[in-house]
Amino acid sequence: MKTLDPITVEVIGAAMASIVEETGETLIRASHSTNIKERRDCSTALFNAAGDTLCQAEHIPIHLGSFLDLIKHIMRRYPTQDIRPGDAFIGNDAYEGGGTHLPDIVVAEPIFVDGHMVAWTVNLAHHADFVDRGHAHIYQEGLRIPPVRLYRGGELQKDVQDLILLNCQVPSERLSDLRAQMAANRVGVQRFQALSAKYGIDTVLSAGAALMDYAERKMRAAIAAIPDGTWRFEDVFDNEEVKELLPMSVEVTVKGEEMSLAFDAPEQMRAGFNMTYTALLATTYYIVKSVLDPAIPPNAGLARPLRITAPEGSILNCLPPAAVNGRLQTCQRVSDMILGALAQPVPERVMACSNSACVVAYFIGKRPDDGSTWVYLETIGGGSGARAHKDGLDGVHVHTTNTSNLPVEALEIEYPLLLTRYELVEDSGGVGRYRGGMGLRRVYQATHDCRVRVDISRQRSKSWGLFGGGPGAHGKVEPGPDVVFEGDSAVLKTGQWFAVVTPGAGGFGPPQQRDPAAAARDLKEGAISRATARDIYGLSR
Amino acid sequence: MSRWRVGVDSGGTFTDICLFDEQEGKVETWKVPSTPDDPSRGIAQGVEEGMRRVAPDEKNPAAPIVYFGHGTTVATNALIQHRGVKTGLVTTDGFRDLLEIGRQKRPDLYDIQADKPLTLVPRDLRLEVPERLRHTGEVDVPLDEDKMRAAARALKAAGVKAVAVSFLYGFIRPDHEKRAVKILREEMPDAFISAGHEIAPEFREYERLSTVVLNAYLGPVMENYIRRLSPRLEALGMTATPHLTQSNGGVIGFATAAEMPVRTVLSGPSTGVVGAQAIGRLAGFEDLITFDMGGTSTDVALLQGGRCRLAAEATVHGYPIKAPMLDIHTVGAGGGSIAYIDSGGLLKVGPRSAGADPGPACYDKGNPEPAVTDANVVLQTLNPKHLLGGRMKIRRDLAEQAIARLAGQLGLGVPQTAQGILSVVTANMARAIRVISVQRGHDPRDYTLMAFGGAGPLHAARLASELEIGRVLVPANPGILCAMGLLLTDLRADFAHTRLMPATEASTAAVAEGFSALAERAERWFAHEGIASADRHITRTVDMRYHGQNYELSVAAPDGPISQATLQALATGFADVHRQRYGFVADGDPVQIVTLRVEATGAVRKAELRAHPEAGPDASGAIVQRRKVWLAEAGDFVDTPVYGREALRPGNRFSGPAIVEQMDATTLVPAGWTARVDSYLNLILEAPT
Repeated sequence: MKTLDPITVEVIGAAMASIVEETGETLIRASHSTNIKERRDCSTALFNAAGDTLCQAEHIPIHLGSFLDLIKHIMRRYPTQDIRPGDAFIGNDAYEGGGTHLPDIVVAEPIFVDGHMVAWTVNLAHHADFVDRGHAHIYQEGLRIPPVRLYRGGELQKDVQDLILLNCQVPSERLSDLRAQMAANRVGVQRFQALSAKYGIDTVLSAGAALMDYAERKMRAAIAAIPDGTWRFEDVFDNEEVKELLPMSVEVTVKGEEMSLAFDAPEQMRAGFNMTYTALLATTYYIVKSVLDPAIPPNAGLARPLRITAPEGSILNCLPPAAVNGRLQTCQRVSDMILGALAQPVPERVMACSNSACVVAYFIGKRPDDGSTWVYLETIGGGSGARAHKDGLDGVHVHTTNTSNLPVEALEIEYPLLLTRYELVEDSGGVGRYRGGMGLRRVYQATHDCRVRVDISRQRSKSWGLFGGGPGAHGKVEPGPDVVFEGDSAVLKTGQWFAVVTPGAGGFGPPQQRDPAAAARDLKEGAISRATARDIYGLSR
Repeated sequence: MSRWRVGVDSGGTFTDICLFDEQEGKVETWKVPSTPDDPSRGIAQGVEEGMRRVAPDEKNPAAPIVYFGHGTTVATNALIQHRGVKTGLVTTDGFRDLLEIGRQKRPDLYDIQADKPLTLVPRDLRLEVPERLRHTGEVDVPLDEDKMRAAARALKAAGVKAVAVSFLYGFIRPDHEKRAVKILREEMPDAFISAGHEIAPEFREYERLSTVVLNAYLGPVMENYIRRLSPRLEALGMTATPHLTQSNGGVIGFATAAEMPVRTVLSGPSTGVVGAQAIGRLAGFEDLITFDMGGTSTDVALLQGGRCRLAAEATVHGYPIKAPMLDIHTVGAGGGSIAYIDSGGLLKVGPRSAGADPGPACYDKGNPEPAVTDANVVLQTLNPKHLLGGRMKIRRDLAEQAIARLAGQLGLGVPQTAQGILSVVTANMARAIRVISVQRGHDPRDYTLMAFGGAGPLHAARLASELEIGRVLVPANPGILCAMGLLLTDLRADFAHTRLMPATEASTAAVAEGFSALAERAERWFAHEGIASADRHITRTVDMRYHGQNYELSVAAPDGPISQATLQALATGFADVHRQRYGFVADGDPVQIVTLRVEATGAVRKAELRAHPEAGPDASGAIVQRRKVWLAEAGDFVDTPVYGREALRPGNRFSGPAIVEQMDATTLVPAGWTARVDSYLNLILEAPT
């Protein structure tokens, strides 16, 4: 490794960031399924030959969890000398394939310069498939794919592809999206090789190493700025899959320039909300970076000063064959717990509990015209927590997810659904000196028979406020006339409707200290009800 | 009678006038302070003064003007400062919050303190009316006209000045929107009304809604501006139709600009890019980073091979806009930016600006706070006695007092504090340039920095050093390059028509019909702009995709009548572009035509700049004075020659430290740098190697 001047390091770092952005744009633009082309539920990254993250695109933080061990899994299965230019590995398994749930399919391609494998371009796309399945264990959740070659030396392995497609509910869409994933990696390979041609591969790899050191230094400096100490925070988890409220906790310890986070949670369950260890790592990296220094580059260096533990076989560090499809609900809870713990030493930097869920609506049905199967899923944002000096954001995606909504005009063209309302929910943001963000209501009407499942949380618990701020409103599903939900699922007949209401977020500081003008504006805009204005904020009007 | 083509760039601080004599082929320039309360006043004054200088015998000073081009920051500034009008929104029942929800993504992935941009229509002015279309255009719920009328009355009662109307699928079937507009006009005859099907008749409701709302929000501001400017120009005897630059670098008539202000949010900066492109081509530099530093803000753009990237949709100051725009990055800092000490004890500069009035402390108009200009005056990199070639007296003592106050708080000397202000500004500018270069994968060291705007040449060499850029080009008239750009650009308008159809021979008639409707609109526009048939040029493109994709690729349509062969050529063209872009072709998958586009260009006679004969390397004759200038490298005031730009001839060479003064700008050549003058009178600075 050679020592480089800071400008070269910065230029190469930015060039790698622009490579992962460009591969991401290619994937989104060439893809066919709405979940990728419009909702952008996908991520791209570059890795060095050792499997450390060089750069991750600013898409979906939890996807890093799938990437973390992927290259290592590949290297364990296939000797380096057998890996050739034009090989492309496909995988999705949460335990063997470097994934966090099965619909996230990863395609990785090695990059060769002067006959040597020097790096990897990797992308992940959340395929809207494997729905209407069980979640007692991972075997029910879809096809498990360890990393296997989809392409060998540029040649499609059609037998492998056929095996995968036969296990999918909408194979034509899967095929098109896989082609888009290949197209994205092609861009990644070309751009990285061009970068190496310009600066020399040694310089590029040295810059990669320097950027990891830089991320580590910045992380250490940010941790050192927090006083030493240990802070504990507890919350509960709830959803339709469990009757009880599951207790969870984190203990954050800062000592010098290192931070350890020790989680505790009940034993893994026959339910979809278990998290693999890589999902826990990705979640923790994300939230710690956000609180400490959002400008730290997202590479492997930032993890070095962190120690993250959770009991093996627990919900937060599950072992096979635990089901993991709905792990994002749990990831969101983990993010908020870390914020709760850090609120004690650095209240100015955190926010109150956000909606603490990643609400997902899944649909499956037969197309009225040709009888073929259609599958659609979307995630719905909610309130974002209030901050020390500002209200929370209304109706956004928080923490480990950040997908776009699907435009109504795209949804109705593609699927036999009609969206009749999409709005912010009055009084759903927790009260406080600063108000928590409002949740969303999205109302779906079937224009043809279909099945629906809603994965939601916070129906029985609430997103907490900080320092006297009130909690956000519950999440809920509101069935229309004659619609009956059994657990989280229902059948919709043509013309029937239901609404999803996502949780609101917690407030910050006592509501008595809210600026009366802000409370009056909330009332005028319908963010709070007349009763809240009068009873909580003491507005007389 | 002489014939003049006039370009006017009205910025936050100065109004620049560029006058081109069509017969003689020569360029004259003029500059007056802007009048932000009513920019039209400064423009009229500048045009009058400028024309009186070049055509002193004319009774009506603006009568010899045969072409008037104008770039303005009126729309941008109103957007940045949230000074648009009180705006209401009427939309489909159930969707009033869409404007606020947007695409449900948070403003920054990691920064939990980040906020969304201000929603331009508050929730209580976003009204829903019962109406609903299906994607097929079928009416699900007819427009409830009584409720629509009630909404119009409610908005009127609330004192709304502009209304945006955007319904789901209004671009497919505009009936409901048209009816709503009619009712709004009946109830609110004085309000500015914008409707989705007119402003952005394209797919995706949120981005369309954002564009329409912005158009309404800015509409009355632009209308009011044009309503004041036009009579002032007419009073000066001007008969030419005035034009305004759009965000795509082309120009449109005032009437169109007043209807579609959203297309002019990058009017000012895109004019500069067009000017830089033309000057760069002449000088032989086509890989350029433009650095346009004015009084209030700074715009940077990257030109690779002489072209700036054009986007069909962009987010400007946080708001998505569906309109073609050059890829320009703006920072809210310029020569007028005020320096202060923040709560954390750090020296900060901007975004607050002293503007033209009261201006920096040295203007002696009552502003006690130090601006970037004051730092340059104290360090004497700027002339400490007067600006604008002697037309504007300034007071160095006031600049010094203002900086001394900061110096006291920082515990530093006055020159060190002034130097600190410049270092902070330079770092801010370097960050802006990284956005358009390194963040897009371009190494700034491969580019020439073209510095213009009133403050660009003064800060360019230091900025170049920070980015390791080896060469700086300062055009002959840097202060008025934007105004000059107006004389170098063609008239341009874009027409589009979204209509989904299969890309097969069966669509021949529909494509022919669609293009002929667009061509008709283009012809009407040509006639309206008075463009001779020989100067009319039309380019046709088709946005296409595989059925199932959501992003289209643009495919050029061959010239000539639309036939089955055209459709075959489009299908082949699409496959080629798709393979080139994505590396694969999905053989057998159906291909769709989404949008037909016509780009209409009206060629106009452009200012032609002439090469000047070489005059040898000796530049000493151009030295007009010597003064003590603070040089950061020396940490002291150093006796420095000051060259008069007008006296520099092609071939002249000199080394730094040196100052070059001209009416509209001052250039700093740091120690170790060399300068030479090319045959177009551009000043080319080279860094020490």
